[in-house]
Amino acid sequence: MAHALREKAAVSGIGETAYTRGTQKSGLALQLEASLKAIEDAGLSPRDIDGVVPYFPGGAIAEDFIANLGLPDLTLSLFVPMGGATCVAAIQSAAMAVATGVCKNVLISVGRTGYSGARVSTRLQQFPQFALANEFEAPIGMFAPAQLYAQGARRHMELYGTTPRQFAEVAITIRQHAILNGNVVMNKPLTVKEHHASRMISDPFRLFDCSLESDGGAAIVISAADRARDLKKPLVTIMGVAEGHPESPASIAQRPDLLDFGLVKAAKRGYAMAGVGPNDIDVAEVYDCFTFTVIRQLEILGFCKEGEGGPFVMDGRIGLGGELPINTHGGLLSQGHVVGLNHVIELTRQLRREAGRAQVKDAEVGLVTGYGDMGDGSLAILRRAA
Amino acid sequence: MSTAPAPAALPERPMPTPTRESQPYWDGMREGRFMLQYCASCGKVRHYPRPVCPHCFSMESEFREAPLGGTIHAWTVCHHPFNFFFKAQAPYIVALVDMDAGVRVNAPLRGVDAAGLKIGQKVRLQFEPVSKEVTLPFFVAA
Repeated sequence: MAHALREKAAVSGIGETAYTRGTQKSGLALQLEASLKAIEDAGLSPRDIDGVVPYFPGGAIAEDFIANLGLPDLTLSLFVPMGGATCVAAIQSAAMAVATGVCKNVLISVGRTGYSGARVSTRLQQFPQFALANEFEAPIGMFAPAQLYAQGARRHMELYGTTPRQFAEVAITIRQHAILNGNVVMNKPLTVKEHHASRMISDPFRLFDCSLESDGGAAIVISAADRARDLKKPLVTIMGVAEGHPESPASIAQRPDLLDFGLVKAAKRGYAMAGVGPNDIDVAEVYDCFTFTVIRQLEILGFCKEGEGGPFVMDGRIGLGGELPINTHGGLLSQGHVVGLNHVIELTRQLRREAGRAQVKDAEVGLVTGYGDMGDGSLAILRRAA
Repeated sequence: MSTAPAPAALPERPMPTPTRESQPYWDGMREGRFMLQYCASCGKVRHYPRPVCPHCFSMESEFREAPLGGTIHAWTVCHHPFNFFFKAQAPYIVALVDMDAGVRVNAPLRGVDAAGLKIGQKVRLQFEPVSKEVTLPFFVAA
Protein backbone atom coordinates (compact mmCIF):
# COMPACT_ATOMS: atom_id res chain seq x y z
CA MET A 1 0.00 0.00 0.00
CA ALA A 2 1.29 3.42 -0.86
CA HIS A 3 2.53 5.61 1.96
CA ALA A 4 -0.25 7.91 3.23
CA LEU A 5 1.77 11.06 2.49
CA ARG A 6 3.08 10.05 -0.93
CA GLU A 7 2.43 12.86 -3.44
CA LYS A 8 -0.16 14.44 -1.16
CA ALA A 9 1.90 17.63 -0.94
CA ALA A 10 3.75 19.82 -3.41
CA VAL A 11 6.40 22.52 -3.51
CA SER A 12 4.15 25.28 -4.85
CA GLY A 13 6.37 28.33 -4.50
CA ILE A 14 10.08 29.16 -4.30
CA GLY A 15 11.90 32.41 -3.59
CA GLU A 16 15.37 33.62 -2.75
CA THR A 17 17.25 36.87 -2.29
CA ALA A 18 20.61 37.72 -3.77
CA TYR A 19 23.37 35.62 -2.18
CA THR A 20 26.12 37.98 -1.06
CA ARG A 21 28.91 38.63 1.37
CA GLY A 22 27.87 41.89 2.90
CA THR A 23 24.32 43.10 3.42
CA GLN A 24 22.63 45.92 5.28
CA LYS A 25 19.49 43.86 5.72
CA SER A 26 18.61 41.90 8.84
CA GLY A 27 18.17 38.15 8.83
CA LEU A 28 14.44 38.73 9.33
CA ALA A 29 14.25 41.13 6.38
CA LEU A 30 16.04 38.59 4.18
CA GLN A 31 13.56 35.87 5.21
CA LEU A 32 10.58 38.10 4.51
CA GLU A 33 11.96 39.22 1.15
CA ALA A 34 12.45 35.59 0.09
CA SER A 35 9.04 34.64 1.54
CA LEU A 36 7.21 37.31 -0.47
CA LYS A 37 8.93 36.04 -3.62
CA ALA A 38 7.99 32.42 -2.85
CA ILE A 39 4.36 33.36 -2.20
CA GLU A 40 4.26 35.38 -5.43
CA ASP A 41 5.88 32.51 -7.32
CA ALA A 42 3.09 30.22 -6.13
CA GLY A 43 0.50 32.70 -7.30
CA LEU A 44 -0.74 33.13 -3.74
CA SER A 45 -1.24 36.12 -1.47
CA PRO A 46 0.50 36.37 1.92
CA ARG A 47 -3.03 36.07 3.34
CA ASP A 48 -3.11 32.47 2.08
CA ILE A 49 -0.25 31.37 4.37
CA ASP A 50 -1.53 29.56 7.46
CA GLY A 51 1.57 27.64 8.56
CA VAL A 52 5.08 28.91 9.22
CA VAL A 53 8.33 27.01 9.86
CA PRO A 54 11.15 29.52 10.34
CA TYR A 55 14.72 28.23 10.67
CA PHE A 56 15.73 27.75 14.29
CA PRO A 57 17.78 29.25 15.77
CA GLY A 58 17.60 31.98 13.16
CA GLY A 59 16.11 34.90 15.05
CA ALA A 60 12.72 34.97 13.36
CA ILE A 61 9.61 33.48 14.92
CA ALA A 62 6.09 32.92 13.62
CA GLU A 63 4.98 36.15 15.32
CA ASP A 64 7.26 38.08 12.96
CA PHE A 65 5.47 36.62 9.98
CA ILE A 66 2.03 37.48 11.37
CA ALA A 67 3.18 41.03 12.10
CA ASN A 68 4.89 41.60 8.73
CA LEU A 69 2.69 39.66 6.34
CA GLY A 70 -0.61 40.27 8.11
CA LEU A 71 -1.37 36.55 8.27
CA PRO A 72 -5.06 36.47 9.25
CA ASP A 73 -5.24 33.02 10.88
CA LEU A 74 -2.02 31.10 11.44
CA THR A 75 -2.92 27.51 12.36
CA LEU A 76 0.59 26.06 12.75
CA SER A 77 3.85 27.46 14.08
CA LEU A 78 6.76 25.06 14.15
CA PHE A 79 10.51 24.82 14.61
CA VAL A 80 12.50 21.86 13.30
CA PRO A 81 15.82 22.17 15.13
CA MET A 82 18.03 19.84 13.07
CA GLY A 83 20.77 22.20 11.90
CA GLY A 84 21.53 21.61 8.24
CA ALA A 85 18.93 18.83 8.09
CA THR A 86 16.21 21.30 9.08
CA CYS A 87 14.93 22.56 5.75
CA VAL A 88 14.32 19.17 4.15
CA ALA A 89 12.98 17.70 7.40
CA ALA A 90 10.61 20.68 7.64
CA ILE A 91 9.10 19.56 4.34
CA GLN A 92 7.94 16.39 6.09
CA SER A 93 6.21 18.39 8.83
CA ALA A 94 4.70 20.79 6.31
CA ALA A 95 3.51 17.91 4.11
CA MET A 96 1.77 16.33 7.09
CA ALA A 97 0.07 19.63 7.87
CA VAL A 98 -1.29 20.22 4.36
CA ALA A 99 -2.20 16.58 3.75
CA THR A 100 -4.32 16.46 6.91
CA GLY A 101 -5.96 19.82 6.33
CA VAL A 102 -4.42 21.46 9.38
CA CYS A 103 -2.91 23.98 6.94
CA LYS A 104 -3.46 24.98 3.34
CA ASN A 105 -0.10 26.60 2.61
CA VAL A 106 2.98 26.29 4.81
CA LEU A 107 5.90 28.68 4.48
CA ILE A 108 9.42 27.38 5.24
CA SER A 109 12.02 30.11 5.43
CA VAL A 110 15.66 30.83 6.18
CA GLY A 111 17.39 34.18 6.34
CA ARG A 112 20.83 34.73 7.69
CA THR A 113 23.60 37.21 7.89
CA GLY A 114 26.23 34.47 8.12
CA TYR A 115 28.92 36.78 6.77
CA SER A 116 28.03 40.28 7.87
CA GLY A 117 26.44 39.23 11.18
CA ALA A 118 27.59 36.61 13.68
CA ARG A 119 29.84 34.26 11.72
CA VAL A 120 28.32 30.87 11.11
CA SER A 121 31.42 28.92 12.08
CA THR A 122 31.50 30.17 15.66
CA ARG A 123 27.84 30.07 16.61
CA LEU A 124 27.92 26.69 18.34
CA GLN A 125 26.92 28.08 21.67
CA GLN A 126 23.56 29.23 20.28
CA PHE A 127 22.41 25.69 19.68
CA PRO A 128 20.92 23.77 22.61
CA GLN A 129 21.80 20.58 20.69
CA PHE A 130 25.48 21.53 20.98
CA ALA A 131 25.49 21.59 24.80
CA LEU A 132 27.65 18.45 25.02
CA ALA A 133 30.17 19.78 22.52
CA ASN A 134 30.26 23.03 24.48
CA GLU A 135 30.92 21.22 27.75
CA PHE A 136 33.35 18.51 26.67
CA GLU A 137 34.91 19.58 23.39
CA ALA A 138 35.04 23.38 23.18
CA PRO A 139 37.42 23.57 26.19
CA ILE A 140 39.97 21.31 24.47
CA GLY A 141 39.82 23.28 21.22
CA MET A 142 37.04 21.68 19.17
CA PHE A 143 34.40 24.28 18.34
CA ALA A 144 33.37 24.56 14.78
CA PRO A 145 31.64 22.10 12.47
CA ALA A 146 34.82 22.09 10.33
CA GLN A 147 36.69 20.61 13.28
CA LEU A 148 33.96 18.32 14.57
CA TYR A 149 33.27 16.77 11.14
CA ALA A 150 36.94 16.54 10.15
CA GLN A 151 37.58 13.44 12.28
CA GLY A 152 34.94 11.45 10.37
CA ALA A 153 36.48 12.54 7.07
CA ARG A 154 39.93 11.47 8.30
CA ARG A 155 38.57 8.07 9.34
CA HIS A 156 36.98 7.59 5.90
CA MET A 157 40.34 8.43 4.28
CA GLU A 158 42.17 5.97 6.51
CA LEU A 159 39.64 3.16 6.03
CA TYR A 160 38.93 3.55 2.31
CA GLY A 161 41.79 5.59 0.84
CA THR A 162 39.63 8.62 0.02
CA THR A 163 41.85 11.48 -1.18
CA PRO A 164 42.07 15.29 -1.17
CA ARG A 165 41.98 15.08 -4.98
CA GLN A 166 38.49 13.58 -4.69
CA PHE A 167 37.46 16.31 -2.23
CA ALA A 168 38.73 18.84 -4.80
CA GLU A 169 36.64 17.27 -7.55
CA VAL A 170 33.46 17.89 -5.52
CA ALA A 171 34.39 21.54 -4.93
CA ILE A 172 35.42 22.14 -8.56
CA THR A 173 32.31 20.52 -10.05
CA ILE A 174 29.97 22.46 -7.80
CA ARG A 175 31.86 25.68 -8.62
CA GLN A 176 31.37 25.04 -12.34
CA HIS A 177 27.65 24.73 -11.71
CA ALA A 178 27.61 27.93 -9.67
CA ILE A 179 29.11 29.86 -12.55
CA LEU A 180 26.12 28.86 -14.69
CA ASN A 181 23.67 30.15 -12.10
CA GLY A 182 24.49 33.82 -11.75
CA ASN A 183 23.06 34.41 -8.25
CA VAL A 184 26.10 33.08 -6.42
CA VAL A 185 28.87 34.25 -4.11
CA MET A 186 31.68 32.36 -5.88
CA ASN A 187 31.66 32.94 -9.64
CA LYS A 188 35.22 32.18 -10.77
CA PRO A 189 36.43 28.72 -11.82
CA LEU A 190 38.34 26.69 -9.24
CA THR A 191 41.34 24.51 -10.11
CA VAL A 192 42.79 21.47 -8.36
CA LYS A 193 45.93 23.50 -7.69
CA GLU A 194 43.96 26.32 -6.07
CA HIS A 195 42.00 23.85 -3.96
CA HIS A 196 45.16 22.12 -2.75
CA ALA A 197 46.87 25.45 -2.10
CA SER A 198 44.00 26.86 -0.04
CA ARG A 199 44.82 27.11 3.64
CA MET A 200 44.19 24.21 5.96
CA ILE A 201 41.27 24.83 8.29
CA SER A 202 41.01 21.56 10.19
CA ASP A 203 42.84 18.68 8.53
CA PRO A 204 41.72 17.18 6.16
CA PHE A 205 39.46 20.17 5.41
CA ARG A 206 41.03 23.03 3.48
CA LEU A 207 39.27 26.35 2.92
CA PHE A 208 37.72 25.20 -0.36
CA ASP A 209 36.35 22.05 1.28
CA CYS A 210 34.21 24.27 3.51
CA SER A 211 30.86 25.86 2.70
CA LEU A 212 30.46 29.60 2.54
CA GLU A 213 29.66 32.03 5.29
CA SER A 214 27.30 34.25 3.35
CA ASP A 215 24.25 36.48 3.58
CA GLY A 216 20.93 35.64 2.02
CA GLY A 217 17.39 34.44 2.40
CA ALA A 218 15.35 31.61 0.91
CA ALA A 219 11.78 30.40 1.25
CA ILE A 220 9.43 27.80 -0.13
CA VAL A 221 5.70 27.19 0.10
CA ILE A 222 4.31 23.70 0.62
CA SER A 223 0.68 23.19 -0.43
CA ALA A 224 -1.64 20.22 -0.75
CA ALA A 225 -0.97 18.60 -4.14
CA ASP A 226 -4.59 18.82 -5.29
CA ARG A 227 -4.62 22.57 -4.58
CA ALA A 228 -1.15 23.18 -6.02
CA ARG A 229 -2.26 21.70 -9.33
CA ASP A 230 -4.34 24.84 -9.92
CA LEU A 231 -1.57 27.27 -8.99
CA LYS A 232 0.77 29.19 -11.25
CA LYS A 233 3.72 26.87 -11.82
CA PRO A 234 4.19 23.26 -13.05
CA LEU A 235 3.27 20.83 -10.28
CA VAL A 236 6.22 19.38 -8.34
CA THR A 237 5.06 16.79 -5.84
CA ILE A 238 6.73 15.29 -2.79
CA MET A 239 7.05 11.58 -3.52
CA GLY A 240 9.07 10.74 -0.45
CA VAL A 241 10.35 12.65 2.55
CA ALA A 242 11.98 11.56 5.80
CA GLU A 243 14.17 12.71 8.64
CA GLY A 244 16.66 10.53 10.49
CA HIS A 245 18.58 10.83 13.73
CA PRO A 246 21.80 8.88 14.32
CA GLU A 247 22.83 7.13 17.50
CA SER A 248 24.41 9.54 20.00
CA PRO A 249 22.79 12.44 18.13
CA ALA A 250 24.37 15.29 20.10
CA SER A 251 27.89 13.89 20.23
CA ILE A 252 29.80 12.62 17.22
CA ALA A 253 32.63 11.60 19.53
CA GLN A 254 30.49 8.98 21.28
CA ARG A 255 28.80 7.65 18.12
CA PRO A 256 29.78 4.00 17.59
CA ASP A 257 30.28 4.64 13.84
CA LEU A 258 31.44 8.17 12.96
CA LEU A 259 30.17 7.62 9.43
CA ASP A 260 26.65 6.77 10.58
CA PHE A 261 24.67 9.82 9.48
CA GLY A 262 20.95 10.24 10.22
CA LEU A 263 20.55 9.97 6.46
CA VAL A 264 21.12 6.20 6.76
CA LYS A 265 17.67 5.90 8.34
CA ALA A 266 16.06 8.73 6.37
CA ALA A 267 17.21 7.38 2.99
CA LYS A 268 15.71 3.97 3.66
CA ARG A 269 12.33 5.45 4.61
CA GLY A 270 12.41 8.20 1.99
CA TYR A 271 13.05 5.81 -0.90
CA ALA A 272 10.42 3.38 0.42
CA MET A 273 7.81 6.14 0.66
CA ALA A 274 8.61 7.38 -2.84
CA GLY A 275 8.66 3.87 -4.29
CA VAL A 276 11.85 4.65 -6.22
CA GLY A 277 15.55 3.83 -5.89
CA PRO A 278 18.85 5.50 -6.72
CA ASN A 279 18.59 4.46 -10.39
CA ASP A 280 15.45 6.55 -10.79
CA ILE A 281 17.12 9.80 -9.71
CA ASP A 282 17.86 12.27 -12.54
CA VAL A 283 19.41 15.03 -10.43
CA ALA A 284 20.55 15.27 -6.79
CA GLU A 285 21.02 18.34 -4.62
CA VAL A 286 23.19 17.02 -1.81
CA TYR A 287 23.87 18.99 1.37
CA ASP A 288 27.42 20.21 0.92
CA CYS A 289 28.55 21.81 4.14
CA PHE A 290 31.87 20.09 3.36
CA THR A 291 33.13 18.31 0.25
CA PHE A 292 33.54 15.07 2.18
CA THR A 293 29.96 15.24 3.42
CA VAL A 294 28.81 14.95 -0.20
CA ILE A 295 31.03 11.92 -0.82
CA ARG A 296 29.70 10.10 2.22
CA GLN A 297 26.05 10.92 1.47
CA LEU A 298 26.37 9.57 -2.08
CA GLU A 299 27.36 6.23 -0.52
CA ILE A 300 24.48 6.30 1.94
CA LEU A 301 22.05 7.18 -0.85
CA GLY A 302 23.11 4.03 -2.69
CA PHE A 303 24.71 5.67 -5.74
CA CYS A 304 27.84 3.66 -4.98
CA LYS A 305 29.04 1.14 -2.42
CA GLU A 306 30.25 1.88 1.09
CA GLY A 307 33.70 3.47 0.90
CA GLU A 308 33.51 4.09 -2.86
CA GLY A 309 32.22 7.68 -2.72
CA GLY A 310 35.68 9.05 -3.47
CA PRO A 311 36.19 7.30 -6.81
CA PHE A 312 32.49 7.83 -7.64
CA VAL A 313 32.76 11.63 -7.78
CA MET A 314 35.59 11.51 -10.36
CA ASP A 315 35.52 11.46 -14.17
CA GLY A 316 32.68 13.93 -14.62
CA ARG A 317 30.13 11.63 -13.05
CA ILE A 318 28.61 14.31 -10.76
CA GLY A 319 28.78 17.14 -13.30
CA LEU A 320 26.12 18.33 -15.74
CA GLY A 321 25.95 15.74 -18.50
CA GLY A 322 27.28 13.09 -16.11
CA GLU A 323 25.59 10.06 -14.67
CA LEU A 324 24.34 11.95 -11.60
CA PRO A 325 24.52 15.74 -11.78
CA ILE A 326 24.66 17.17 -8.26
CA ASN A 327 24.27 20.64 -6.81
CA THR A 328 23.41 22.19 -10.13
CA HIS A 329 23.07 25.65 -8.49
CA GLY A 330 26.46 25.81 -6.78
CA GLY A 331 25.36 24.55 -3.38
CA LEU A 332 26.56 25.77 -0.02
CA LEU A 333 30.12 25.54 -1.29
CA SER A 334 29.75 28.14 -4.04
CA GLN A 335 26.25 29.63 -4.24
CA GLY A 336 25.46 30.57 -0.67
CA HIS A 337 24.67 29.10 2.73
CA VAL A 338 20.99 29.25 3.49
CA VAL A 339 21.02 25.90 5.28
CA GLY A 340 20.18 24.02 2.11
CA LEU A 341 16.85 25.61 1.36
CA ASN A 342 18.57 26.76 -1.86
CA HIS A 343 18.97 23.03 -2.66
CA VAL A 344 15.20 22.50 -2.43
CA ILE A 345 14.64 25.58 -4.59
CA GLU A 346 17.09 24.34 -7.22
CA LEU A 347 15.56 20.88 -7.36
CA THR A 348 12.13 22.44 -7.83
CA ARG A 349 13.52 24.60 -10.66
CA GLN A 350 15.08 21.54 -12.30
CA LEU A 351 11.79 19.66 -12.23
CA ARG A 352 9.88 22.69 -13.51
CA ARG A 353 12.57 22.93 -16.24
CA GLU A 354 13.40 26.47 -15.11
CA ALA A 355 17.07 25.83 -14.36
CA GLY A 356 18.46 27.73 -17.35
CA ARG A 357 22.00 26.83 -18.38
CA ALA A 358 22.19 24.25 -15.57
CA GLN A 359 19.06 22.41 -16.68
CA VAL A 360 19.34 18.62 -16.53
CA LYS A 361 17.60 17.43 -19.67
CA ASP A 362 14.22 15.81 -19.11
CA ALA A 363 14.59 15.80 -15.31
CA GLU A 364 11.57 13.97 -13.91
CA VAL A 365 12.60 12.78 -10.45
CA GLY A 366 15.23 14.27 -8.16
CA LEU A 367 16.34 14.19 -4.58
CA VAL A 368 17.55 16.69 -2.03
CA THR A 369 19.27 15.97 1.28
CA GLY A 370 19.92 17.77 4.50
CA TYR A 371 22.75 17.10 6.95
CA GLY A 372 23.64 18.81 10.16
CA ASP A 373 23.49 19.25 13.85
CA MET A 374 26.22 16.63 14.44
CA GLY A 375 24.79 14.21 11.90
CA ASP A 376 21.02 14.53 11.64
CA GLY A 377 19.83 13.76 8.15
CA SER A 378 16.87 14.32 5.87
CA LEU A 379 15.82 13.38 2.38
CA ALA A 380 13.10 14.52 0.01
CA ILE A 381 12.35 12.99 -3.37
CA LEU A 382 10.40 15.26 -5.70
CA ARG A 383 8.71 14.54 -9.00
CA ARG A 384 7.57 16.59 -11.94
CA ALA A 385 3.86 15.80 -11.97
CA ALA A 386 2.78 18.53 -14.37
CA MET B 1 40.73 61.79 30.67
CA SER B 2 42.43 59.38 28.36
CA THR B 3 40.62 58.45 25.19
CA ALA B 4 43.15 55.78 24.24
CA PRO B 5 41.49 52.46 23.52
CA ALA B 6 41.76 49.87 26.26
CA PRO B 7 44.31 47.14 25.51
CA ALA B 8 42.72 44.15 23.83
CA ALA B 9 41.74 41.62 26.47
CA LEU B 10 43.58 38.31 26.26
CA PRO B 11 41.13 35.73 24.97
CA GLU B 12 39.91 33.29 27.58
CA ARG B 13 39.74 29.54 27.19
CA PRO B 14 36.16 28.33 26.88
CA MET B 15 35.43 26.47 30.10
CA PRO B 16 33.05 23.59 30.82
CA THR B 17 29.91 24.30 32.78
CA PRO B 18 29.36 21.05 34.69
CA THR B 19 25.80 19.82 35.06
CA ARG B 20 24.37 17.87 37.99
CA GLU B 21 25.03 14.74 35.96
CA SER B 22 28.58 15.53 34.88
CA GLN B 23 29.93 17.09 38.10
CA PRO B 24 31.57 13.83 39.31
CA TYR B 25 33.46 13.54 35.97
CA TRP B 26 34.90 17.04 36.36
CA ASP B 27 35.61 16.51 40.08
CA GLY B 28 37.57 13.40 39.04
CA MET B 29 39.53 15.34 36.42
CA ARG B 30 40.53 17.87 39.07
CA GLU B 31 41.79 15.02 41.27
CA GLY B 32 43.70 13.45 38.36
CA ARG B 33 41.27 10.54 38.10
CA PHE B 34 39.30 9.46 35.00
CA MET B 35 35.84 8.93 36.51
CA LEU B 36 33.11 7.38 34.38
CA GLN B 37 29.42 6.82 34.99
CA TYR B 38 28.24 3.20 35.31
CA CYS B 39 24.64 2.03 35.53
CA ALA B 40 23.96 0.74 39.05
CA SER B 41 21.47 -1.76 37.67
CA CYS B 42 22.97 -3.32 34.50
CA GLY B 43 26.55 -2.14 35.02
CA LYS B 44 27.05 -0.65 31.55
CA VAL B 45 29.26 2.41 31.20
CA ARG B 46 27.89 5.60 29.60
CA HIS B 47 29.52 8.82 28.45
CA TYR B 48 28.86 11.68 28.36
CA PRO B 49 27.07 11.56 31.74
CA ARG B 50 23.27 11.59 31.64
CA PRO B 51 20.36 10.77 33.96
CA VAL B 52 19.02 7.53 32.45
CA CYS B 53 20.72 4.32 31.31
CA PRO B 54 19.68 3.90 27.63
CA HIS B 55 20.05 0.09 27.96
CA CYS B 56 17.88 -0.68 31.01
CA PHE B 57 16.34 2.75 31.81
CA SER B 58 17.61 2.73 35.39
CA MET B 59 18.14 6.18 36.91
CA GLU B 60 20.61 4.85 39.47
CA SER B 61 24.28 5.20 38.62
CA GLU B 62 27.72 5.42 40.19
CA PHE B 63 31.02 6.93 39.12
CA ARG B 64 34.10 4.69 39.17
CA GLU B 65 37.69 5.32 38.24
CA ALA B 66 38.56 3.96 34.79
CA PRO B 67 41.90 3.06 33.17
CA LEU B 68 43.79 5.72 31.18
CA GLY B 69 44.77 3.67 28.15
CA GLY B 70 43.16 3.77 24.74
CA THR B 71 43.67 3.59 20.97
CA ILE B 72 43.23 6.23 18.28
CA HIS B 73 39.89 6.08 16.45
CA ALA B 74 40.30 9.25 14.36
CA TRP B 75 41.91 12.68 14.53
CA THR B 76 42.06 16.15 13.06
CA VAL B 77 44.76 18.80 13.03
CA CYS B 78 43.26 22.19 13.89
CA HIS B 79 44.96 25.00 12.00
CA HIS B 80 42.36 27.76 11.99
CA PRO B 81 41.73 29.11 15.49
CA PHE B 82 37.98 29.49 15.57
CA ASN B 83 38.50 30.80 19.10
CA PHE B 84 41.51 33.08 19.41
CA PHE B 85 42.54 31.48 22.68
CA PHE B 86 43.84 28.57 20.62
CA LYS B 87 45.75 30.70 18.11
CA ALA B 88 49.08 30.32 19.91
CA GLN B 89 48.69 26.51 20.01
CA ALA B 90 47.70 25.99 16.36
CA PRO B 91 48.25 23.71 14.62
CA TYR B 92 47.28 21.16 17.26
CA ILE B 93 46.13 17.54 16.96
CA VAL B 94 42.81 16.54 18.50
CA ALA B 95 42.59 12.76 18.79
CA LEU B 96 39.37 10.86 19.22
CA VAL B 97 40.31 7.87 21.34
CA ASP B 98 38.60 4.55 22.03
CA MET B 99 39.31 4.27 25.74
CA ASP B 100 39.94 0.81 27.15
CA ALA B 101 36.96 1.49 29.44
CA GLY B 102 34.61 1.42 26.42
CA VAL B 103 33.87 5.11 25.86
CA ARG B 104 35.53 7.76 23.70
CA VAL B 105 37.45 10.86 24.71
CA ASN B 106 38.30 13.75 22.41
CA ALA B 107 41.43 15.60 23.56
CA PRO B 108 44.66 17.14 22.29
CA LEU B 109 47.40 14.64 21.42
CA ARG B 110 50.82 16.04 22.27
CA GLY B 111 54.39 15.14 21.50
CA VAL B 112 53.75 13.27 18.25
CA ASP B 113 53.92 14.09 14.56
CA ALA B 114 50.52 14.10 12.79
CA ALA B 115 52.02 12.62 9.63
CA GLY B 116 52.72 9.28 11.33
CA LEU B 117 49.35 8.78 13.02
CA LYS B 118 47.44 5.54 12.50
CA ILE B 119 44.09 4.23 13.60
CA GLY B 120 44.63 1.82 16.49
CA GLN B 121 47.78 3.53 17.79
CA LYS B 122 48.04 3.32 21.59
CA VAL B 123 47.80 6.49 23.67
CA ARG B 124 47.41 7.39 27.33
CA LEU B 125 45.23 10.03 28.95
CA GLN B 126 46.92 12.71 31.07
CA PHE B 127 45.58 15.61 33.12
CA GLU B 128 46.25 19.32 32.67
CA PRO B 129 44.98 21.74 35.33
CA VAL B 130 43.91 24.94 33.53
CA SER B 131 42.37 26.75 36.51
CA LYS B 132 41.78 26.13 40.20
CA GLU B 133 38.52 24.35 39.40
CA VAL B 134 39.07 22.86 35.98
CA THR B 135 41.42 20.12 34.78
CA LEU B 136 41.24 18.99 31.14
CA PRO B 137 42.38 15.75 29.53
CA PHE B 138 45.10 15.40 26.89
CA PHE B 139 46.85 12.40 25.34
CA VAL B 140 50.42 11.29 24.87
CA ALA B 141 51.74 8.27 22.97
CA ALA B 142 51.67 5.17 25.17
